[in-house]
Amino acid sequence: MITVTLGTNNTPATFEKIKTVLQLLNNLHLRVNDALVIRDGELLTPDRHLRPGDHVAIRPVVSRG
Amino acid sequence: MKCKRCGETAAVKLPSHHAGFCPDCFELFFKRQVETAIRRHAMIAPGEKVLVAVSGGKDSLALMRVLSDLGHDVAGLHVHLGIPDSSDPVCARTEAYCRENGFALHVLRMAELGLAIPKVKDAVHRPICAVCGKIKRHYFNRFAYENGYAALATGHNLDDETARLFANVLRWDEAYLGGQGPSLPAEGRFVRKIKPLYRLTEFETAAYCFLKGIDHWKAACPYSGGASFTSHKRLLADLEYTSPGQKTAFYEAFLAKGRQHFRGEGNDAGPVLQPCARCGYPSSAEVCGVCRIRSLVEKAGA
Ligand code: SF4
Ligand SMILES: [Zn+2]
Ligand SMILES: [Zn+2]
Repeated sequence: MITVTLGTNNTPATFEKIKTVLQLLNNLHLRVNDALVIRDGELLTPDRHLRPGDHVAIRPVVSRG
Repeated sequence: MKCKRCGETAAVKLPSHHAGFCPDCFELFFKRQVETAIRRHAMIAPGEKVLVAVSGGKDSLALMRVLSDLGHDVAGLHVHLGIPDSSDPVCARTEAYCRENGFALHVLRMAELGLAIPKVKDAVHRPICAVCGKIKRHYFNRFAYENGYAALATGHNLDDETARLFANVLRWDEAYLGGQGPSLPAEGRFVRKIKPLYRLTEFETAAYCFLKGIDHWKAACPYSGGASFTSHKRLLADLEYTSPGQKTAFYEAFLAKGRQHFRGEGNDAGPVLQPCARCGYPSSAEVCGVCRIRSLVEKAGA
């Protein structure tokens, strides 16, 4: 199970059977350069593998007002 | 994915450049894009003082950081809008960031100038963002002019610029097309306006801020009812997704081949500018928009 925090939303979502960052982005209907994907303070490219127990933060990059 | 320069694990994938970069090489890439922008459009001459318009968001703080790292003589100006629950924390965060990094930051408080945005909102019957934008542009320019800055730098990125160009093209707005670009020359009491981040996307700026530990303000302004260009940005993102590099190609080709055909349109189409009778800054009427807004606020409060 992978735990994902999206944007400033405080309640994390969990995903089963997700193996890569790309799969996670697809699942969230996000494209490669729509969001930063962060694990343990490291930025991940879409090809990186995710492991059960990972905590991932997704930060959409579109700027607001 | 490996870094295109050094072969380490990449942290950032950039389909538009057919490349991935590790944190260090990405920073180098980012700086070089800014250097290229500055050089190609003669944005900053050696030794010139530059004022950075600092909203506290990621683009403006990234701009401050990169210009300073490139050795330019920069200071920031933050306009405190006087919006409850928003302006104070944004300003405090911006001041803290600049203090920690040794950047000079000036703050102009609109409440002290009779232009607190909530009061303006009540007094003026027009969309607040248009009015707020006008006020901010006026004071950024005025501060730069009165304090001897050669240029005013803003954090507009490639996504902002292409979305704006696209909107102008949809309307074939000749005056705006003639006046759009990453560097607008100084004229009278208008200082030069430059956009050193225009070759970098929102994603690239966000990645740069993350990697450089820039703690920017993320909450939206309470008055922003969804940014106006969002749907155009979405369309362009779709285009970029199917053909990486299209955004840059669209914008650079406009600069190289399109813009020249609209030059001068702004002058013919727009009214002649004259000094405002009250503040002396260029205006299309006897009294400029900002001075008129201030009178409306005074009247509403009287
Ligand atoms: S969203 Fe509108 S009101 Fe808020 S700072 Fe931006 S322009 Fe001003
Ligand atoms: Zn590298
Ligand atoms: Zn005036």
